[in-house]
Amino acid sequence: MRPRWRKVLSDLIDNKARTLLVVLSIAVGVFAIGVIAGAYVIISDDMSISYAANNPANIELRMDDFDEDFLNTIRKFDGIKEAEARRVFNIRARPLGETQWTSIDVVTIEDFEENEVNLLTPVSGKEVPLKNEILLEQDVLEKMDAAPGDTLEIQLRDNSIKTVYVAGVVQDSSTGAVDFLAPPLAYISTDTLRLFDQTELFNRIYATVETGQDDDNHISVVLSALKEKIEKNDYEVGRTFRSLTHQHPLETTINAVLGILMALGVLIVFLSSSLIANTLNALLNQHLRHIGVMKLIGGRDKIIFKMYLVLLVAFGFLALLIAVPAGGQGAYGLAQFIATKMGFSLLGYRIVPIALIIQIAVGLLVPLVAGFVPVINGSRVTVQKAISGDLAGESSEQAEGGANRESRFEAIQFEATRILADRGIRIKRPLLISLRNTFRRRGRLILTLFTLTMGGATFISVFNVRVTLHEYVESVGNYFLADVTLDFDTPYRVNEIEQFAMQDPRVTYVEGWTFSGADILSIDGTTADNVSILAPPAESVLVEPLMVSGRWVQAGDEKKLTISEGIFDLYPDLQAGDYLPLKVNGKEESWEVVGIFKFINMEGILGYAPYEYISRDQNMANLSFSYRIVTEQHDRAYQEMMAEDLDAYFRDHGFHVQEATPGLATLDSAAESLDILISFLLIMALLTAVVGSMGLAGTMSMNVLERTREIGIMRAIGATDTRIITMVLVEGLLIGVISFILGIFLAVPFTYGLSWIVSTAIFETPIAVVFTPMGYAIWAGLVIVLSTLASVLPARSAARLTIREVLAYE
Amino acid sequence: MTQKNINPLIELRDVVKNYQSEAGVFPALKNVNLNIERGEFLGIIGKSGAGKSTLLNMFTGVDGLTSGEVIVHANGESVSLHSLSENDLALWRGRTMGVIYQSFQLLPMLTLAQNVMMPMDMSDLYHPRKSRERALELLDMVELSEHAHKLPSLISGGQQQRVAIARALANDPPVIVADEPTGSLDSITADHIFKLFEQLVQSGRTIIMVTHDKGLMPRFSRHVEIVDGELFDNDSFPMKGKARMGEDRK
Ligand SMILES: Nc1ncnc2c1ncn2[C@@H]1O[C@H](COP(=O)(O)OP(=O)(O)OP(=O)(O)O)[C@@H](O)[C@H]1O
Ligand SMILES: [Mg+2]
Repeated sequence: MRPRWRKVLSDLIDNKARTLLVVLSIAVGVFAIGVIAGAYVIISDDMSISYAANNPANIELRMDDFDEDFLNTIRKFDGIKEAEARRVFNIRARPLGETQWTSIDVVTIEDFEENEVNLLTPVSGKEVPLKNEILLEQDVLEKMDAAPGDTLEIQLRDNSIKTVYVAGVVQDSSTGAVDFLAPPLAYISTDTLRLFDQTELFNRIYATVETGQDDDNHISVVLSALKEKIEKNDYEVGRTFRSLTHQHPLETTINAVLGILMALGVLIVFLSSSLIANTLNALLNQHLRHIGVMKLIGGRDKIIFKMYLVLLVAFGFLALLIAVPAGGQGAYGLAQFIATKMGFSLLGYRIVPIALIIQIAVGLLVPLVAGFVPVINGSRVTVQKAISGDLAGESSEQAEGGANRESRFEAIQFEATRILADRGIRIKRPLLISLRNTFRRRGRLILTLFTLTMGGATFISVFNVRVTLHEYVESVGNYFLADVTLDFDTPYRVNEIEQFAMQDPRVTYVEGWTFSGADILSIDGTTADNVSILAPPAESVLVEPLMVSGRWVQAGDEKKLTISEGIFDLYPDLQAGDYLPLKVNGKEESWEVVGIFKFINMEGILGYAPYEYISRDQNMANLSFSYRIVTEQHDRAYQEMMAEDLDAYFRDHGFHVQEATPGLATLDSAAESLDILISFLLIMALLTAVVGSMGLAGTMSMNVLERTREIGIMRAIGATDTRIITMVLVEGLLIGVISFILGIFLAVPFTYGLSWIVSTAIFETPIAVVFTPMGYAIWAGLVIVLSTLASVLPARSAARLTIREVLAYE
Repeated sequence: MTQKNINPLIELRDVVKNYQSEAGVFPALKNVNLNIERGEFLGIIGKSGAGKSTLLNMFTGVDGLTSGEVIVHANGESVSLHSLSENDLALWRGRTMGVIYQSFQLLPMLTLAQNVMMPMDMSDLYHPRKSRERALELLDMVELSEHAHKLPSLISGGQQQRVAIARALANDPPVIVADEPTGSLDSITADHIFKLFEQLVQSGRTIIMVTHDKGLMPRFSRHVEIVDGELFDNDSFPMKGKARMGEDRK
């Protein structure tokens, strides 16, 4: 082997610990990038493909009961490709022997074998339920403990109890997805309808369109026409939903996750680049003398560059060997985690070419770019300087005009020490040495602080954003202030329910609400969207809205409503006082928008109008299906108990209770999807913190390595192990503390940025940012632990050096 | 080719070297003029801090100068060192000059043989296989062939300096420049190294050597003294004759 290559090989393998440090510092970043890029691609590909694979309905109609003949006319309707009928009704179920009821929507499917729309993916057990058997959607298992073969108790409206067998568990990514707040689903065949006292008629249509399955406008046109036709046949249509074949309904949330992943990826590229630059810079500074010797004996730049090119590529290649397979596994793991949380399945493990390319690019290019700066600097240093020895360390920075700054810094330090000494505060000599050492390599210190501070600021921001999101959801909870919501199958007089409820001394307040729905018409008169109109009494104390503009509903309002911000998607310029074209109960009307309020847009467009008007309009004055009840205490457990007690109480008195829900239940499901996001943010925070402390560990070991001779001299003049270890530890801690202080400030813009990304993705509206001391406190503790850990190994290896080794050191 | 006989090997013309430091400008070489002929064994003698190393760095082009010119007529071309780029200079130096320092400057990760092969590898003057043979020959010449495959840290200082000499000879350069090559060696070892230099001069090479040891004076074919950056070329006349004789032998 030619001596030049022999040298490169020796540089690579002689000092294994140092090579490992360099390789790992490259590998950490490349791994993280692989995980993120891979997960990003796998999720965005598989989400739509696996969702589309179940042939989701483009149109869902909830309507009056209809029969097979009617379904056939729908099937023949222009623009409709497939249409299937279902009967969906609500029951309560519990495993035999349990006490806790779970509300379930039962979906009746005519023919499981011929099923073509909203396909079910088998999870376990049978795929087709026989008579008196039931299939459970896997979400049910989150609420109750059941498995194929178990028996469930079912409670019907008249309080009678029936039993069914669990035949299997399935995943249904389509049916439940459009209605986020709906209870979990279960499936039966028409044979079982009789058991549940249900007629053999249908009440929902699930249809796909012939063309334009991913064109919301087209679907909307077909839907309007279809709805018109159905209404002409004297059937009443309730809510309608549209969805695109290739768009997962939770896409906005998932996109928020992906957006964060992307931001994280970019951040990690920066952090790991600066980590790589730092490590290589330190390593190559030690090579200055070698470069000098080679130039002395005739080495041209070309040869020397080529040698270092090979060395750097070798570092990158070794890092790729570790990071590529690990990153691929990590990417699939992360994608799997997100997919399970979001309810879709992946298409299987695979290598993502683009992730691989990015990894290779980063793994090879970043070390090259980062490494060539010191190599070029080294080749610029004159042979004289390179060889005269003492330069290897500081003088490369001094050569860039650092000499003056250094002395100014020393002057400041001297002055500070003197001032402190005047006040009787003496800084101990070893501490002074650590202090000096910390600031000796300014370039390296800046890069180290950069990585660690970015990590810290991200960490702190995640906690702030978490609180920000929860605070917002809580404020949205102001729309759901009741402790128990009691829904009946038939309307009852408000007075009557109030009287009954107040018999329970724990009930303090009752309100009867009603609901309505309307189509929002676009300017050309076609249906653009639905609005669910909630109608609490005008004087309701159970809604505390977050108004964006205008006012809340008032008792005298007629054909007036307040509407959620989601309306801006359809009418971006809408203002309070404007009129909105609606179709209410089949009649086109123009309603005044008196106010606009903030709400989670994921739930669709929501409106409020006073009970007084809506109930009169529905010929149900003083009657109501739905009641909001306030109890003595407001914690979750109490609400659950009250929901159960009130449910039993009203059933016992012959009321047809549909469901009693504890007040925070709706909030919980909103918070649930936020928690997925938050766990990502935490992963993100930890990753950046790890990269940051890797950077610190690298810096500390480089520092120790470079100061081997110095440490040897300190030893020779009697420094103990403890003193040397303390010196290194204090330096590491000092860097940690400085980065913490910087992180406090950097966390402010980070928090705003991150919460903007997340809130606009999920809520489609920026939300008020909240800060919490928790992130700061945890990071303060963590940074101390991390920087101690990062310095402990270098410190120990420093203490282990013998004088002989040090003096033999080149 | 004719130039070769007319011109001296190295010409220093009005060379001034000032060091810039915080304390101000320090004149290390004050208008130095010096011609070096082929075949000379030139001693540069002076006290510590006199500017010996600074002067030597002018011959090798290892450090820049403030004003003046250094011209080397070797290998059939005349080169003004400080007009070359670092890069061209490195290649030129590798082929024309063997440089030896007091502190050996061997690459610690390479064996003695590889260290000696390195200049040949850098200058591409020899085929790799040929360069290996040559390296072993040179190590044999400095009586180190049995250690050829050891690392520098495993041999003594005197042995390391002999490796450095072997390395300096690797490309068969016409000029050898040595800065206190015996400075960190005991007197017996130093004498050994000195004898090696005398052999090289006899075989026709030009050697420029820096030392603070006045006792070595008689052993040079010529010497100059440097005091505070100024050159005193006391006995250049009698020396010139000897230098010519050396050249004739070739
Ligand atoms: N980089 C530098 N910056 C400033 N002054 C320098 C520098 N290098 C050398 N000097 C000064 O120039 C003068 C000559 O230095 P030089 O190294 O040539 O001396 P020397 O004769 O080789 O001494 P020694 O025998 O100790 O090696 C000295 O006074 C030295 O302090
Ligand atoms: Mg000197």
